[in-house]
Amino acid sequence: MTAAAANRSHGLVGIAAILVLAALSIASLFVGVSALTPRQLLNDPEALRLLVESRLPRTLAAILAGGGLAIAGLVMQSLARNRFVEPTTAGTAQSAALGILVVTLLWPDASMMSKTIVASVTALAGTSIFLALAHRLPPTQPFLVPLFGLVYGGVVGAGVTFVAWQADLLQYIDVWTNGEFSGVLRGRYELLWIGAAMVALAWWVADRLTILSLGKSASIGLGLNYARMLQLGLVIVSAISALTVVVVGMIPFVGLIVPALVSRFAGDNLRATIPWVAGAGAALVLACDILGRLLRYPYEVPVGTVLGVVGALMFLGILFRRHDDG
Amino acid sequence: MRRLFIGLAASAFCALNAFAAEIDTALGPVTIDGRPETIAVYDIAAIDTLDRLGVQIDGVPDTLYLPQLSGLKDGAETVGTIFEPNLEALSALGPDLIIVGGRSSPAIEATRRVAPSIDMTMGGDDLLADARSRLAAYGALFAVEAEADEALRELDASVEAARKAVAGKGNALILMTSGPKISAYGVGSRFGWVHETLDLPPAVKSLDAANHGEAVSFEFVRDADPDWLIVLDRAAAIGSGEQNAKATLDNALVTETKAWKSGQVIYIPAADFYIAAGGVQAMGRVLAAITEAFSHSQ
Repeated sequence: MTAAAANRSHGLVGIAAILVLAALSIASLFVGVSALTPRQLLNDPEALRLLVESRLPRTLAAILAGGGLAIAGLVMQSLARNRFVEPTTAGTAQSAALGILVVTLLWPDASMMSKTIVASVTALAGTSIFLALAHRLPPTQPFLVPLFGLVYGGVVGAGVTFVAWQADLLQYIDVWTNGEFSGVLRGRYELLWIGAAMVALAWWVADRLTILSLGKSASIGLGLNYARMLQLGLVIVSAISALTVVVVGMIPFVGLIVPALVSRFAGDNLRATIPWVAGAGAALVLACDILGRLLRYPYEVPVGTVLGVVGALMFLGILFRRHDDG
Repeated sequence: MRRLFIGLAASAFCALNAFAAEIDTALGPVTIDGRPETIAVYDIAAIDTLDRLGVQIDGVPDTLYLPQLSGLKDGAETVGTIFEPNLEALSALGPDLIIVGGRSSPAIEATRRVAPSIDMTMGGDDLLADARSRLAAYGALFAVEAEADEALRELDASVEAARKAVAGKGNALILMTSGPKISAYGVGSRFGWVHETLDLPPAVKSLDAANHGEAVSFEFVRDADPDWLIVLDRAAAIGSGEQNAKATLDNALVTETKAWKSGQVIYIPAADFYIAAGGVQAMGRVLAAITEAFSHSQ
């Protein structure tokens, strides 16, 4: 394939992807318990109100959460220099949940904003510890990092369970840990826009993140302020994870599958791939949320559960395809 | 079960009094020889009913959830939680009988190793029948039949009053709020007895008999448009100071319902409804709350 042909095919994929995301967004606006058709929007003020109060916020929340989580996964993979880590498998989301749990115990009437701040701080601490330890692992053994991440996430998750058990909040942490959009309404998801700002920030520093993923000595040799960049990446990952956990709960696999799929055809230049990763993450979460609304209509299946199944299947697909290619 | 009978048969030899009672439990009828002197109880509904009957309880879980029961912790040993018995503390107490139920019922095999144990779990749909049966069982077991009869009469009277109050006042939807999220409960669910016992028509007839309710969106509530909302705040029931039910429901979709517009939203005493379901005093308070709310409407 010539370079021009490759560019043209990328262009076509790009148009197709934008159409898919648009189609999913429109579908999301018209799928729900209350009857709502495009025609009603024109002559029924009640229908417009429903759209503004319920459908639009839910669609935006899924897009923001999906795009944010995919980017958080991408950035985390650059920081850990490993393609098999993401915030829910390497302790970031669990650390955020620990933060929320501590706030709930010590300061039950805290606002969403203060919960988010505490959760971001604990997520930052948890992820820093993960990275500090992961960087000591031998780079010749790429699967050690995700394995260590799983163990580490499991340990932090066990800590959350232990504290919740002691405080009789065990079932209650389900509300945070299982990602769900059923409670999303206007006024109840807007914190996720901060996640969109984090995605923009990641895009702005994308070139530096790409260099960061080459490793410490290479990036210092190329003139990058390595420590500063690592901190910024950590802040992006922690803020997005904490925001998502606080507002909708944990959504697994997005940060793992989406960057892996996108890097297959778009490569590893972050400046080029970030819009793809964000868009594909948004489309994946949106599709799973629509599925969750339809599977047991008019009841809801949490998006975290749907993604657990869909994501696991996709992940297996990626693993086996990789095997065939190699 | 067989082990229990053997254990009881063995202890019957050294029983000083010839007292024996056959009672109904969730696992079938059980014969208890000798009136139990020292008892440990893990089920809050059972504790609630025994408290009404004036039976002394010697071992209780660490949290009793209902403020009305808090006095029982003085003079009683703490023997674990409602989910998990502390077997060492239980052995130290050395009870004659252990009562489990609901959340503690899976632990009965473990507690049987310490002392004879009975499972007094109560069901969902016919909670009232179970509550009456347990009341009669405790009356016979602890030789407090007179109190049990009186408690039964009171319970029946509160049911009657509630039935009268709800008759012809429209349908209802039972919701549980868990922080920012909600689930709906239908006729066959753990709270379905409200519809069955009180002849209160459900706003959504098709709601499945899922014991733990169905996760629903606020649009579901808006479309169901019930005349009454019966709301259980799960956070309040388990004593966590999270976002309260009213804040969760006060949104553009729920405020459109008939129930919200006419002020017909009943916030049920949470722990009485959720944790102590079937306890006679707790049930009385739940029924009183329903009666009170319904009788104020036209």
